[in-house]
Amino acid sequence: MTEYSRSAKGSFTQSATGNAVYINLPFQPTLIKLTNITAYTNFAASDIPWAVWDVASMGQGTAAVGYVGTGPVLQTAWVATQGFSTFAAGLGLQLGAQLQIASIAKANPTVVTTASAHGLSVGQVVILEGLFQSSTTGMPQMSNMPFVITAVGSPTTFTVLWNSNQSNYTALSGSPAGAYVRQVLYPNLYLPGVNFISAISTGTTTSITTTTNHNYVVGQEIAFRIPSVWGTTQLNSLPNNLIPGSPIYAYVTAVSSNTVFVCNFNSTGFTAFNSNQPATGTSGLQYPQVVSVGDVNSGGFPYSGGSLYPSPQFPTFSGGVPTINGPAIQGAFVNNTRQGFIIGAGNAAVAGGSADTSSHLSGETSDVIMWEAYLTDIAMP
Amino acid sequence: MSITTTGNLGPMILQSLAPAMLYVPTPTMNYILICDKVSMPANGGTTCRFMRPRALVPPTIQLGNSGIDPPAQVPQRDIIDAQMAFFGTGCIINEQVILQDQEGVLAWVSERLAVAMRQAEDLILRDYIISAASQIMAGGGSNGDNPTNLGVSDFSLVAATLDTNNAYKFMSGIEGMDRFGTGPIRSAYFMLSSTELQPDFDALTGSGFLSQWNYPTNSSALPSEYGSVYNIRILNSSEAPIARGASENDRDVYYNAIVGKQALTHINQDGYSMNLIYRDPYYSGMLAQNATLAVKFAQAQAITQDTAIRNLLCTRAGN
Repeated sequence: MTEYSRSAKGSFTQSATGNAVYINLPFQPTLIKLTNITAYTNFAASDIPWAVWDVASMGQGTAAVGYVGTGPVLQTAWVATQGFSTFAAGLGLQLGAQLQIASIAKANPTVVTTASAHGLSVGQVVILEGLFQSSTTGMPQMSNMPFVITAVGSPTTFTVLWNSNQSNYTALSGSPAGAYVRQVLYPNLYLPGVNFISAISTGTTTSITTTTNHNYVVGQEIAFRIPSVWGTTQLNSLPNNLIPGSPIYAYVTAVSSNTVFVCNFNSTGFTAFNSNQPATGTSGLQYPQVVSVGDVNSGGFPYSGGSLYPSPQFPTFSGGVPTINGPAIQGAFVNNTRQGFIIGAGNAAVAGGSADTSSHLSGETSDVIMWEAYLTDIAMP
Repeated sequence: MSITTTGNLGPMILQSLAPAMLYVPTPTMNYILICDKVSMPANGGTTCRFMRPRALVPPTIQLGNSGIDPPAQVPQRDIIDAQMAFFGTGCIINEQVILQDQEGVLAWVSERLAVAMRQAEDLILRDYIISAASQIMAGGGSNGDNPTNLGVSDFSLVAATLDTNNAYKFMSGIEGMDRFGTGPIRSAYFMLSSTELQPDFDALTGSGFLSQWNYPTNSSALPSEYGSVYNIRILNSSEAPIARGASENDRDVYYNAIVGKQALTHINQDGYSMNLIYRDPYYSGMLAQNATLAVKFAQAQAITQDTAIRNLLCTRAGN
């Protein structure tokens, strides 16, 4: 170990099979080791009890692993995609490669089927492009908004929060030309941010569903920007007929889930939210949004157990975004730029064999996994 | 006859260093220009808090002759919090480099660190605006995409939105002068946009766009100012945000932040806005081999007037 090397270790319990795990660190490692303690104790077929990765000799997204084959018998194997990779989430608007969309059936929520394995997992964010079945039909109303993946049904399907089961939507089929999904590589760099609205439930309080994790907290002050074609314009912060020029803000009174929150607006009798926009004339279509304005909170997040690094500021709810910054007022604008490494959910393949889709580098639900990460001063070559 | 040439008697040392270093291509840093600047005190915690009073209801109902006072109003205010974050980078330079290199390594590395720090400051503000400000899709262009390329109606729409929100403009207008090819300039908001959009701005000449060179006087024009359309003056930079291939039809999407005064605030803590740190090799290990040069800074940012900022998204006519 030389003077400026970095090393870190930690452990986690996998929340769901197939989830990629992001580890925030003060550096990007060049060498990673992983031990799936549960796999050691279970020793069941398709387990990956250990894995190792070196960036110089193996490249991003791979892993050399120990793999439990049928028998069970321990074998050496290789993860070719969705292995270990490093990330540097410091700049926004970075998108992944285009992936052809094979089909989208009309449904609520919407399930997207890709032409090849998408490699995405729950919590990651995507945009959809070119959703035309013909020049005048399809689902172009869903373009231009980010969507968080709420479920992964298979290696080629995932679910996003949008109601496409409406009259103006036409199912996509046959891999339409130009229909792509692209991953937003580093969402949530600054919190809380602008959110796009998927649905609004009106009443004495108002429930909002967003297309991505809203990252709001109770006490968050918010403003709505809802274009008239989407219906519920009475929520908009302006105009204000009682005090002309003074914006009207709402407060978040409950956080129901990553993508649903309740605010204190009494919207009884307001115009219904309408996401059944026509598929034609989407050029220049404006989108319904809600932005954070401020908050009425005065304390930081209480410590509730778990790791002290990253600091226990987030997540504020299941699947929220961990930050590496210190404590702040709940609802404050915070910087969430970050770096570290990703443990992907890639499948192991023994030499000459095909990938075992039941095996996952990042483990299965409830697996306890230990990791070590290193950045060395001297690397040869 | 024997002629001595450089072929048989070459210089003993083939190269000499040119007297000046070449310039480093560096984007114009516009985002810090439009920010309000606030300093948090030392020992002031992690979070800067802003307070904005809310308007009271104007008393438009007459008192009448009853002699009874109307009910009192309860003053309200909005609170905006922004958490400080710390940033830094540096270089470890072996003493042999300092000893042997012909150029002053410490000098030019210090300069590059300082520029890197200032650029980071600007990029953080840029990405924060992308993340936190609401969006308007351009629809005034003719390329059929969503968003479309910029049309003059898009400038008009955003300026009208900010005006309706009672945002404050940055610049007062410039009166017309009797100078060939010039025209008066309206009081204006700033739009921070990409240099890649210059052909699209030029294409609007005659229908609303006026180049900075056609201002009656450019004494108030900023170095990065490209021109103006109606109530918006355009500042260009090559670092303005672009989402490549992200439009409905796979075009590049340009994020143009249109801002009024106090829309965005940049916060430092106790002047901790720049620290250039040099540590002598004496502090590194028993043989004192390595010097370090580093910069660090603290910064927070907040949208302090959400009504005075919009991201106008557009594509280009040509790509």
